[in-house]
Amino acid sequence: MTPAWQIHRNALVWLLTAFTAVILVHADHLPIWVFIAALLAIVWQIQRYRGAWSTPGRTVKYGLLALCLAGLILEYGKPVGLEPMVALLISAFSLKLLEMEHRRDALLVIFLAFFVVALQALFDQSMGNSLYIMGCLVIVTAALVGLHQGVREGSEGAIQPLRPLRVSAVLLLQALPLMFLFFLIMPRLGSFWSVPIQSHSAKTGMSDEMSPGNFSNLGRSADVAFRVSFEGDIPRQHQLYWRGLILSDFDGRTWSRTSPFRYEDTHLLQWFGQKQQAWDSLISRNGQPIDYSVILEPTHQPWLYSLPTPLPQSPDVALTRDFRLLSSQPITSKTQYNVSSWLDYQIAPYELSSLHRFIALQLPQGYNPESLALARSWRKSIRDDLQIVQQALSLYNQEFTYTLSPPLLGTHSVDEFLFKTKKGFCEHFSSSFTFLMRAAGIPARVVAGYQGGERHPDNYLVVRQYDAHAWAEVWIAGRGWLRVDPTAAVAPERIEFDLESALSGGEDYLADSPLSLMQFRHITWLNKIRLRLDSLNYQWARWVLGYDKVQENLLAKWLGEYSPLKIALVLLILGGGFLGAIALWHLRTLFSSEHDELDREFLRLCKKLKKAGIPRNPGEGPRDYADRVAKQRLDLAREVKAINSVYEHMRYGSEGQDRLKILKKAIKRLK
Amino acid sequence: MIKSIGQALQQQFSRWVYRRVPLSNNVALNTSNLFIFPSRVGFSFLLLILLCWLVATNYENNVVFAITCLLTSIFLVGILHSFANMSGLSVSFVRATPVFTGETLSIDIMLSQKKSRLRDGIKLSFKGEEVTTVSFQGKESITTATAHVLVLALKRGNYDPGRLQIESVYPLGLLRVWTKVDLDIHCLVYPRPIFNTFENAIPSGRGEGALQLDNGSEDFVGLKDYQLGDSLKRIAWKHYARGQGMYAKHYADFQDERIWLDWDALPGLDRESRLSVLTGKLLKVAATDQHYGLKLPGIDIAPNNGEAHKYQTLKELALFEAADLKKSRWGLGKKRKRKASKETSR
Repeated sequence: MTPAWQIHRNALVWLLTAFTAVILVHADHLPIWVFIAALLAIVWQIQRYRGAWSTPGRTVKYGLLALCLAGLILEYGKPVGLEPMVALLISAFSLKLLEMEHRRDALLVIFLAFFVVALQALFDQSMGNSLYIMGCLVIVTAALVGLHQGVREGSEGAIQPLRPLRVSAVLLLQALPLMFLFFLIMPRLGSFWSVPIQSHSAKTGMSDEMSPGNFSNLGRSADVAFRVSFEGDIPRQHQLYWRGLILSDFDGRTWSRTSPFRYEDTHLLQWFGQKQQAWDSLISRNGQPIDYSVILEPTHQPWLYSLPTPLPQSPDVALTRDFRLLSSQPITSKTQYNVSSWLDYQIAPYELSSLHRFIALQLPQGYNPESLALARSWRKSIRDDLQIVQQALSLYNQEFTYTLSPPLLGTHSVDEFLFKTKKGFCEHFSSSFTFLMRAAGIPARVVAGYQGGERHPDNYLVVRQYDAHAWAEVWIAGRGWLRVDPTAAVAPERIEFDLESALSGGEDYLADSPLSLMQFRHITWLNKIRLRLDSLNYQWARWVLGYDKVQENLLAKWLGEYSPLKIALVLLILGGGFLGAIALWHLRTLFSSEHDELDREFLRLCKKLKKAGIPRNPGEGPRDYADRVAKQRLDLAREVKAINSVYEHMRYGSEGQDRLKILKKAIKRLK
Repeated sequence: MIKSIGQALQQQFSRWVYRRVPLSNNVALNTSNLFIFPSRVGFSFLLLILLCWLVATNYENNVVFAITCLLTSIFLVGILHSFANMSGLSVSFVRATPVFTGETLSIDIMLSQKKSRLRDGIKLSFKGEEVTTVSFQGKESITTATAHVLVLALKRGNYDPGRLQIESVYPLGLLRVWTKVDLDIHCLVYPRPIFNTFENAIPSGRGEGALQLDNGSEDFVGLKDYQLGDSLKRIAWKHYARGQGMYAKHYADFQDERIWLDWDALPGLDRESRLSVLTGKLLKVAATDQHYGLKLPGIDIAPNNGEAHKYQTLKELALFEAADLKKSRWGLGKKRKRKASKETSR
C-alpha cells in the first residue's frame, strides 16, 4: 500500500528536528520511557521514509498506545497535574508521528509541538530556558514552513534545505516588536480556576516539617530560593533572618506546624489592603520600615519569606496571626511580592494567652528524659528566664561542633545529640534548644526560614537553598517573642558571613550542585561572570516574570489613564506602524520596479543637468541629449559623452554590464 | 434553506470577485485583485493561540503569555509574507495545444516578475481540476516561469476552461492568498474522433468528374444512358431485358486519391456524431498522404494535405456551430447571462 501523501524529505528533516528539540526541552521532568517511545517513533518514521519499514499496523499502534498509558499510570498514579499531562501529550505526540499519512497529521504534530514548547515555560521561567524555548519556536516554525515548501516533481535538488530556517527566523524577528507591544499592553485577567502544578519530581526546598537531616540536605544545594531587592541599603548580614514557618508541635523527633484552628481568634489573616485585625495591636513597630521586594522561586507552598516583622504591600498576600506572610495560593511559578519590615519590634510583650502558652510549652511524654532532667535542674537554680537562655547557649558554645554531615540519631534524638554526638546542623541546635526551653518552662518555638544571602551590587540579595536555617524564638515576659539562634553560639561565622566560612573545610558543601558556578567562586573572572549572569536573571525575573504586577502602574504612567479605548488605540497605531514597516520592506521591489538601476542612474544625470540649466526635452533620446549638452557646455562635453557611451553599451549592447559602478562614479563626479 | 442561502452568498461573492478581477490578457497581481483569508489550518492556529492564552492566564505565567503574543505576531506578520509571496507577479496566457474532446488540455500560463525574488508554492488550477505548483527560487536570472495547467476538455469548440485560480499558502500555511483571473484563454478542442468501419463503406464522393477518369475499366461506378459509341460489352443487358431502357455500365479509374469528408454522406446521425465520425476519418486519412477535402453546410475546404491543412480542417470541425462558451458564462452578470440564454434558445 502506498501512502496517500508523502512528506518531502526536507520537511521531514525539519519536522523531526523540531520534534527532538521539543522533547529535549522537557528532559528535566519526563520519565525515561517517554524518550524511548519518541526515539522509536523517530527511527520508524525515518525508516518508513526510506522505504525500509512499512507503516506500523494497527496492532503495533494500539500496543504502543496501551504501553504508554500503562507507563503513565505506573509513573504518576492519578493522571492529575501538569507533569502527567505533559507526559501524555508527548506520548500522543510520538504516536502521532507513527501514523503520518496525511498533511493534516503532520500539521497536528507541529501544532502539538508549539503547545508542548509553551507548556515547558510552566516548569521553568528562567531566562536561559526562555531563550531555549525561543530557539525551539524558530525550529518548529521552520518545520511549518518546510511543510509548505513547494516541491517540483523530480527536482528535489532544487530545494534549499536551510531555507525554512531562514524564513522562520526572519518571520520571528519581524514578529518580535509586535510581540513586545502585545506583551506590554495586553491586560492580564488573572486565573480563571485554580490549577495547582503537582510536582512529582523531588524539588529541593523547605518542607513544612523539621526533623534531623532536613536542613543539612538543603545545605548541599546552590539553587536560588529567592531574590530580594531593597529600596535602601541591605541590612547587616546578622539581621537577615527570613522567617517562613513557625513550628510549634513536637512529637519527639519532628517539629511541625500547629494547626491554625487552635488559635481562638476568628480572623487569622490580615490581607493587604483590608482593615487591620484586632490582633495587630499586639505588635509594636518602632522606627522606619525597610522596603523590599522579593522574587520567590516556585515552592509549591503558600508561605512567603520576610524579615520580621513584616507588613505585606502586594495584593493576595496576607499577614498571619503569628506575623508571617502567606500567599493566597501555593507558589507554582516565580512570584514577586513587596514587603515593608520593621526590624525593631516587639511581639506580644505583656500577655501570652493561656492557649498560646500551652502550645509553646507542650512536650511529648516519655522522650528525652536526660535533657528534661537537665532543664529542670537549671530551672531550680536559676530564676531569670534570660539567664536560662544564656546557660543553654553557653553549653553549646563549649562542646559542640557545627557540621553539614551530623551522625544519625535514634529515638531520643535530643538526648543523643546533647550528650553523645554533640555534632549537628542548625536543625539539631534549634530543636534541642527549644526542647530545653520548654522543659525549663519557657515558652519557645522553632522558626524555619533562611538566613543571610549573597550581596550583589544594586542593592539586591540572592538567597540560596544552602542559606536555609532554623532558629528559635522564646517568650520572655516584658520583651515578648525574642529570637535566639543557638547556631550562632556554636558557629558565629554562619550568621556573620555564610555557610562556607562556618564549615571547616572538607565538608560536602554544595555536594549536590557539582556544576554550579558557585563551586568556582574563588576564580575571580568566573565569579564576575557569575554575578553578571545572576544580575541579568534577576532583571529578567523582575521585569518579565513580574510584569503583570507592575503593568498597570507603568501603563498609567505612559498613557495617563488605563482604559480599553486607549489600549486599542495604542495597539492600532504602534502595531499598524510595525506591520506597515514590514509591508514596506516586502513591497520595496514595487517601488523600484519602474526603473532598473541603470535607468535610475540616467535619471540622476538628467536631474543634475536640469539643475545646470539644460533640461531634457520630452522624447529626446539619450544620445541627442548628450550631444545637445556637449554643445551647450563644452566643459562637460567629454564626460557627458563618455557617460552616454557607457549607458548605450549597457542598455543596448551585450557588453559592459559590469560598468555600473564606473557610471555611478562618473555621474557623481559631474558638477 | 441554509444551504441555499449559503450558495446565494457564495454566488454574490463570486460575482463581486469577478467584477474586481476583470478579463485581461495579462493580470498583475496586487492589492486590488488578491484576496487573503485564514485557511482552515489558520483557524486551528488561532485556536492554538487561544489555548496558549488560556494556559498563560490561568497559570499567570508571563513566559507563556509572551509565547502567546509571539504566536499572534507571527500570524499577523504572516499575512504580509503570504501576500508578498503572490503580489508583484504577472500572469498571462501563453498558448494551449489543441486536443480532442475528452482529452486533457495543457494550458501554458506564464508567471513573471519584474525583480527576482523567492516565491514558493504558487498553485494554479481550474475549477475542479488538477493543481500545478510553481516556485521561484530567487535566483537573479530567473524572472519567469511557465506552468502547464491541466484541464479536461469536455466540449469541442473554442474551449473556455473558466477562471484560473491562483493561490498560495506559503510560508506558514495559515493564510490563503488567492485570486481568480480571467485570462483571455483561447484553446481549440476538436470533436472526439470516432473510428469505425462504417465510414469506409460510404462512397467516397458523389461522382464529381474531377475525381474520376471517365471510362476506366477497373471499378463499376453506376449506369449511364447509352450513348452511341459505348462499347457493347458494357450495355446493361439485364436492365434492357426488363424494359427499363438502354443503359451502359459505367466503369471508372481513380485518377488520384482525393477524399471528401462530407457532412451529407452521413444521414441519420446527429450533429456531434457526424462531426466525430468525420474527425475520425480525417485522422485516418491524414495519416496517409491522400488529399482530402471537407464539406460542411456552408463550409467547403478544397482537398489538400499537410499539417496546415489538417489543422484548418480540424478547426472547422471544432468550430462548426459551436456555442461560444465565453459569452454564455455566468460570471458576466445576471443581465448578460439572460441575454445569452435567450440567444442560445433561439
